[in-house]
Amino acid sequence: MLPSSVSRQASNRSRRDPTAPFKHLDPVIVACAVVLGVIGVVAVWSATRGPGPDYSNTFLLRQGAFVVVGVVAMAVFTVVDYHKLHDWAWVFYAFTTLLLVAVISPLGTRSRGAQAWFTIGPFQLQPTEFAKLSLIGVLAFLLSEFKGDIGVRRLLALLAVTGFPMALIMLQPDLGQVLTLTAITLAVLLVGGLPARYIVVLTLVGVVGVIGALNSPVLAEYQRDRLTVFVNPDASNPARYNIEQSQQAIASGEVTGQGLFEGPQTRLGYVPEQETDFIFTAVAEQFGFVGAATVLALYGILCYRIWRTAQIARDLFGTLVCIGVLAMFVFSIFQNVGMAMGIMPVTGIPLLLLSSGGSSTIVAFCALGLVLNVHMRRFR
Amino acid sequence: MDTASPRLRMSVLGFVVLGCFVALFARLWYLQVMASDSLTIEAAANRSREVSVEAPRGRILDVKGRVVVDNRTSLVVTVNRRDLAELTKQGGRDEFVARMADTLTRFGVPMKVASVERRLQDQQYDQIQPVPVAVDVPEEMMVFLSEHAEDYPAVEVRRESVRTYPYGATGGNIVGYVGRISAESLKSAEPGVDVETGVTKTYQPNSNIGLAGVERTYEDDLRGTPGVEVVEIDANNRSVRTVSRQAPRPGSDIQLNVDIDVQSRAETVLGEKLGALRGTSQRDGVRRGAPAGSVVVLNPNDGGVVALATYPSYDPSEFVNGISQERYTQLSDIGGVSALVDRAISGQYSPGSTFKLVTADAALSNGITTANSYYNDTGVFEVGGQQFQNAGRVRNGSINLSTSLTISSDTFYYSLGARMDGTTMLQDTATKFGFDAITGIDLPGESSGYVLTPADKKALNEKNPDAYPYGEWFTGDNVQLAIGQNTVVVTPLQLASAYATLANGGTVYQPRVMWRILRSKGDPNDPAAVLRENAPVVKGTVDLPPAVRDPIVQGLSGVTSGKGTAAAAFTGFDQRAFAIVGKTGTAQVTFVRPDGSVGYKADTSLFASYGPGDAPQYSVTAVMEESGFGAEASGVVVRQVYELLAGQQLTDRRAPVAGAARD
Repeated sequence: MLPSSVSRQASNRSRRDPTAPFKHLDPVIVACAVVLGVIGVVAVWSATRGPGPDYSNTFLLRQGAFVVVGVVAMAVFTVVDYHKLHDWAWVFYAFTTLLLVAVISPLGTRSRGAQAWFTIGPFQLQPTEFAKLSLIGVLAFLLSEFKGDIGVRRLLALLAVTGFPMALIMLQPDLGQVLTLTAITLAVLLVGGLPARYIVVLTLVGVVGVIGALNSPVLAEYQRDRLTVFVNPDASNPARYNIEQSQQAIASGEVTGQGLFEGPQTRLGYVPEQETDFIFTAVAEQFGFVGAATVLALYGILCYRIWRTAQIARDLFGTLVCIGVLAMFVFSIFQNVGMAMGIMPVTGIPLLLLSSGGSSTIVAFCALGLVLNVHMRRFR
Repeated sequence: MDTASPRLRMSVLGFVVLGCFVALFARLWYLQVMASDSLTIEAAANRSREVSVEAPRGRILDVKGRVVVDNRTSLVVTVNRRDLAELTKQGGRDEFVARMADTLTRFGVPMKVASVERRLQDQQYDQIQPVPVAVDVPEEMMVFLSEHAEDYPAVEVRRESVRTYPYGATGGNIVGYVGRISAESLKSAEPGVDVETGVTKTYQPNSNIGLAGVERTYEDDLRGTPGVEVVEIDANNRSVRTVSRQAPRPGSDIQLNVDIDVQSRAETVLGEKLGALRGTSQRDGVRRGAPAGSVVVLNPNDGGVVALATYPSYDPSEFVNGISQERYTQLSDIGGVSALVDRAISGQYSPGSTFKLVTADAALSNGITTANSYYNDTGVFEVGGQQFQNAGRVRNGSINLSTSLTISSDTFYYSLGARMDGTTMLQDTATKFGFDAITGIDLPGESSGYVLTPADKKALNEKNPDAYPYGEWFTGDNVQLAIGQNTVVVTPLQLASAYATLANGGTVYQPRVMWRILRSKGDPNDPAAVLRENAPVVKGTVDLPPAVRDPIVQGLSGVTSGKGTAAAAFTGFDQRAFAIVGKTGTAQVTFVRPDGSVGYKADTSLFASYGPGDAPQYSVTAVMEESGFGAEASGVVVRQVYELLAGQQLTDRRAPVAGAARD
């Protein structure tokens, strides 16, 4: 423990020295993010190299590159003071919303049933991922300005801000991402001081809306099947195959796992989308309970540190940014892992940091960069 | 409490997050630690498939160890259904099918697009088994396909063991053929067990099964034990690697009692004789159709089947790659008769005078007549106001039983039949010789024939009075029975067996095509290679004391010489070296014209015999439809078979056509 005078001295110096905030960098978040990113690269490799003997390294190299870019992006989002984001929030929001409009125009590319990508050379950019980040920014901005004083008109304005990109994403369509935005919005509104009665009303509207949607022609048959399969395990439901295979694969990992590249369900491609929606399955089959629980624990620590940062943030904006990122991660983890284990509906969203995919990986690192940013600038 | 406090709300959020993680950990623990065993087993079962590998069938050898049915490798072009479905999704199916048909045709396996499609849609093959589209493609096509693999997705060329017949069509009716198991048989067939390993030879949708002849009777022995490959398959049903492999074991070899040389000779002379007779006219002017016939050669000392010829017959190699429906229909109607029926065992004919063996035995054994009783043959026999005549009303004067057989007097037997009326002596004796029942030969499709008794006639009348207007047994019925007409039908095999029984002194053997079962590729000369021997089976005995047998044999010995009915047929055959004991038979065949009147077809020509007389080795019988007198058709054919058996000069189709004989 340093004497208080030394501490004050250092603190004084920090106001002038631009490198000073880095003394307060949260190494736990950095470590968790990097370790999870590396585990993700290995998991994606194991899930995509094929049954052999001609193994493919394409996904290994791509995901490795994404993690490297992600770490750099995380550094950038850490360095630039997050208050700049406060000022630029609307610009980012407008820009990503424009991209969401563009992606459902002929400029976008259709793949796996959704028009959600821009094809840029060998890469595919998914604007939805970036929209999540800008939505967190603009909601945090608005709520930090409102300072808990939220009436019906302000609430409607907030809902419009969040509803517009959601509607655009629904047009792709990508139900999983819409649900992610919903989770982010609810969490930020909750912590941002939305009066309790509105929260009750919104919850009721949400429940009625979900039941209504399930029984209306808005959703295609397959979407309904997927959403209800976990509560209605009817053998004739085609969506059942995915979660059955996934659960069998996870189970066969047992305590210590089948070993890297040894998981037959993964190796033989029994679990569909195993490098993205079912990446957790690949981890659990190959590394067993020990490995899968470690991954969950890393996510748990990560979430705890984000939550902790939200509490110690210097201002409400910082808090709300962290809460938004927390919601984004928690929803991604609970939905993705929960689906793989059969306790959540089949709605594919990537497991942030672990799943294959450039946009989601880079955005996850950027989001953590923001949290680091808030964390190290927590002192006035 | 300030519900709007961010700290409080963050705590709430924190609990929600904590709840999520607890739920995930709990589920993970449940799946990987608690429920792991049952789910893991399910997963493993999901991933591996047992693939059955068909084994080569056992070979079929003749009595001298010559290979009559062997195996060879056929290149089979198959299409993988999974890949095909992928292709269909991409819209390339029609083009692919057209290319396949085109390529197959180019390589000498003409196929239309429609027939390729039909094969591809055959429901018998499941998703994992590749569907055979064409068999026996040339080696060059396999090379071509592998060089142009990208143009032929889903195509694979596989080597399969198929039947080959070194002696061509010879013995086709005996060995039979194999074919792809039908969906119904797949459900009902009871698979055999490998005697050496105890493994059950289960059938798969792509298995072959014996459908006729020895292939069918000895299916359980001939069928090899399929190998089992456990392969690991990926999510697209493609096999990734072989986990374990149990090699297929070829089926056991089967050695027949059949001598392929004798079989070949019998088939050749039968076919040639029928061909020569066809379209000519018999004595009474009726045109000979000569559409069909059969020859049976038995070993009278053990019931072994030396030859079993039937005409028309089929070439089993036509069935190797699956016969077309058109060709099958064609084979089942060649000039009104089916080539797919073995009439040596299933054809039913009136035996005519060859049945006099039974009548003579019945009369002598029951004291109706003796060897030295003489009867005045006036050419006509009258009973109940009805006249029965000798062929051509010939008068033979005073004759005894031996002479009656040699010259085939009908009136002699009419009188015996009349004297035995009111008894079932004829029927009982016929039954002892093996008539009116299947012989039990080890080939499928045998007929039993029948010998009508008064009780049978009554039952028929009661059951169907329109077709059988009389229920009463007339003396005329017994008179007809005595000369083998109207009330009796026999199979050529039964007839041969009856004369074999006379030859061996009274033992009725069950005819046996199979001699023994050998270890796969086993040396027939090595006793250790013999797995099982098909020992002779005595079905019954006929009491033939010298007082009964001698006069009959004496009479039948004269048939092929001197005044005998078949003397002309045996002219030039050295009977001092190899004496033939036999009997001609000429059976009238009536048919009903559309206007209801009765017409006559050319006669069924029969000749039943054994030889050599002093130490019988063979019993040879020929039955030829619509061919005329016994001697002029069947007698000649039998003689030509004996030429080979006796090692005498072989005559060809220009052989003498019997002259004076009337029976």
